[in-house]
Amino acid sequence: MKSYFLLIILISLFMNGSLRAAEPVWFGDENAPRILTINSALDLASFEPILKEFAALHPSIRVSYRDVNTLDLYYLVIAEQAAPVPSLVISSAMDLHLKLVNDGYAQTYQSDVTDQLANNFKWRNQLFAFSLEPIVMLVNKNAFPGDLPEDRQSLLQTIRQHGKYMRKRIGTYDIRQSGVGYLLASQDARQADATWGRLLEAFGSHDIQTYCCTHEIIDDVADGKLVLGYNLLGSYASQRARDDDRLKMILPKDYTLMLMRAALIPKGAPNARDAGIFLDFLLSDKAQAMMQNQGLLFPIRPNFNNDDDHYVVHAPGPTGIIELDQQLLVGRDYAKQQRFIHNWEVALEINDEPIQANVEDVVKEDNQIMKIE
Amino acid sequence: MWQKSPNHQNLSEEEERNALRKAPSLRFRFILAGVLVIGVIAGVAVNLVFDYSQKLADLSYDRLLRSALLQMDENVGLIGNEVSIDIPWSAFATLAQADEDRVFYKVESVEQGFITGYRDLNSEPPKKPVLDEIQFYNREYSGEMVRFAWVERHLTDPETAQTVRIILGQTRLSREEMASSVTQRAIEIVLLIALVAITLIVIGSHLVLRPLHRIERALEERAMGDLTPIDINTPKETHHLKVAINHFMVRLQRNLEQLENYTADAAHQLRTPLASLRALAENARDNITTGEISSEPISSDILSSNSVSSKKHHQDLENIVIQCDTLSQTITLLLNQAVVSHRLQTHHLESVNLLEPIRASCREQAVTALHQGILLSLDCELQSAFVLGDSFSIQQMMQNLIENAVRYSGSDREHASEIIVQVNEFDHFYRIKVIDYGDGIPDIEKERVFERFYRGRYDIAGSGVGLAMVKDIVDHHSARILILDNEPQGTTFQVDFAKFKTDEASA
Repeated sequence: MKSYFLLIILISLFMNGSLRAAEPVWFGDENAPRILTINSALDLASFEPILKEFAALHPSIRVSYRDVNTLDLYYLVIAEQAAPVPSLVISSAMDLHLKLVNDGYAQTYQSDVTDQLANNFKWRNQLFAFSLEPIVMLVNKNAFPGDLPEDRQSLLQTIRQHGKYMRKRIGTYDIRQSGVGYLLASQDARQADATWGRLLEAFGSHDIQTYCCTHEIIDDVADGKLVLGYNLLGSYASQRARDDDRLKMILPKDYTLMLMRAALIPKGAPNARDAGIFLDFLLSDKAQAMMQNQGLLFPIRPNFNNDDDHYVVHAPGPTGIIELDQQLLVGRDYAKQQRFIHNWEVALEINDEPIQANVEDVVKEDNQIMKIE
Repeated sequence: MWQKSPNHQNLSEEEERNALRKAPSLRFRFILAGVLVIGVIAGVAVNLVFDYSQKLADLSYDRLLRSALLQMDENVGLIGNEVSIDIPWSAFATLAQADEDRVFYKVESVEQGFITGYRDLNSEPPKKPVLDEIQFYNREYSGEMVRFAWVERHLTDPETAQTVRIILGQTRLSREEMASSVTQRAIEIVLLIALVAITLIVIGSHLVLRPLHRIERALEERAMGDLTPIDINTPKETHHLKVAINHFMVRLQRNLEQLENYTADAAHQLRTPLASLRALAENARDNITTGEISSEPISSDILSSNSVSSKKHHQDLENIVIQCDTLSQTITLLLNQAVVSHRLQTHHLESVNLLEPIRASCREQAVTALHQGILLSLDCELQSAFVLGDSFSIQQMMQNLIENAVRYSGSDREHASEIIVQVNEFDHFYRIKVIDYGDGIPDIEKERVFERFYRGRYDIAGSGVGLAMVKDIVDHHSARILILDNEPQGTTFQVDFAKFKTDEASA
């Protein structure tokens, strides 16, 4: 029954065009005997050098890399639980990944490399974090009115002072479409409920723009269409800020959320052996150094020796590391999620039909599925 | 007179070892019983620990589970007429203390049905549901054994009343880990204690049995014939044993003394009438001789008939005298043997010059031998020959060997009229040879001549105890005796004594 409904929802998702299953990108020798399929919510720009390096190191493995939205990744794993397509699934929506592991969709992997990984960066030897990055605000220096904000309070002040100017010029995730967007919003609410309430109210009264993906937000900030992007992934923001003078990345001083990117091997995944090899490579000193030195990602084990490196986080205030443990399940609680999204919609005065409101809808709530359609 | 074990001397060392091996050991029984008891106790303890550690782990982690459940319960409320729950982050932070355990939960109400959590979770508790009472139970879910906490309660509102059920579960990984670590630690301790206890039992058994070993050693180390009471200090428990041994020794001593007295008495009692008998027989013989002389004028026919009968009488009386002498010799021999065996039992062996008793016995026997027309000669170039032994016994041995040689030399052959005693020195021993040229001993008898009361030839006087005594003395000195044949005839008794090797002896 469940899978039948899942099929329906997946088809309907395809119709809506929301399950943007992009064509896979291939790395390595075409005639390589083994194929490693990776589904990932990680921009190829940040990941390509690592994939190339891996293919060079392992000529007998051909890598098929497919970029998938965090929420879609979650659904795909559940939909394909009988016969998973990817060998490895990488996501920045830690909570969804953890929920997959908790609900028994992942398989155990253990090696010398994973044993060396600190306990708070892995869970049950089924979920492994390989990058830890700050969640930032990105501003267009030219377009931003007044002083650049240091923290959420000064952002609120700017919005209040330049209310008219700021209208429709702040962008953030649509938490209904983006798994990581929901996670960040729920963590904001958890870290500072009052600030979050005021922010939400300010965002709502100034017609905040919602996006599915980080890049669209960054593009619009760079264009000057937006003056500020809120809760963006630090790795993408810093990459663009480095190349584009108009952009400035700000780590909020009141608290800076720290997000992990994590990988899991689905239960029954094909070629799980090579998935393990790739995971070991991701956690290896070499790949970690590549992330840091080439400015690809914020490594989970940064080399603190190059102190002035961009890719070592220097947060001006306290950091709120989103912990990789069972607490993440609370954010994805069915009732809490419904209420949170409802409050978000009410606050932002968004009434258009949500594409996917709730993770639980798909899996657990048949009636909800009908409602979605 | 005494009850004796039939063959107490004949146990060889190996047989004794075998017997010892087969014999039950007090110490072994003691240790075995101790080890068994400790083993059973340790087994029970480990079993209890196993049970207890499971309970302990459940107890600790059930607290976390209860705490999380109560935090969830506290956040259940009615909004409008709808039950709603806002699970606090802290509830799951509590559960995250069991860091590797998966979490499952479900909130439902009787009226409203599923509210949140895992829809397919079975919400029926194993026991009869009681409101507001938390139940803990294990049940399999999602392919793993899960510990569930269950609670049900009423929510009332002026407008509505609902029954809400919360089920919160957590896999058992941390519990098992804790239980096994507790168990492992406890088993280590139990094993350690058991080992210490067994060691103590082994040591204790040694200590307990030590007084017995001391008594044993005291008895073993005694000089032969030492029958004085044991006076070592022993604990109460072995006191009676000691007393019994001492009583036994007193009785033994009394018996031995009686035997000694009896032997001396017997010899003495026999000798006196024997001497009288001999004297009487001699007198009678002498009277016949003198009568013959005095009655010379008596008619020759009477005389001749008288003379024939008196000659026969004379011969008979002469025989009686000879038999008396032989008997006297035998008694002396028996007495000597008694003395020798007594000495062997009671006297320590000491360094003696072998030549002295040999010379003495040769001197003593030379005349007796000459009477029988036999020349006894000592062939010895040594100045001294020290061995560990008893001088009197060696002399008795030599005397018996020479007597024996004299006796069997026979007087009828010319070349048999010589006995040679030789003493030679070898690297490690002295060799004494008593060589005669008598009839020799047939091979089949050689093995038997040392048997008590065995006599090779009954036509020659002898007691049959002489060579047996020789054998006793030789054995007692750890010496070696061989019977060799001579060419063309005769026998050599060859005895080897180990040299006594100390500085004083060689000096």
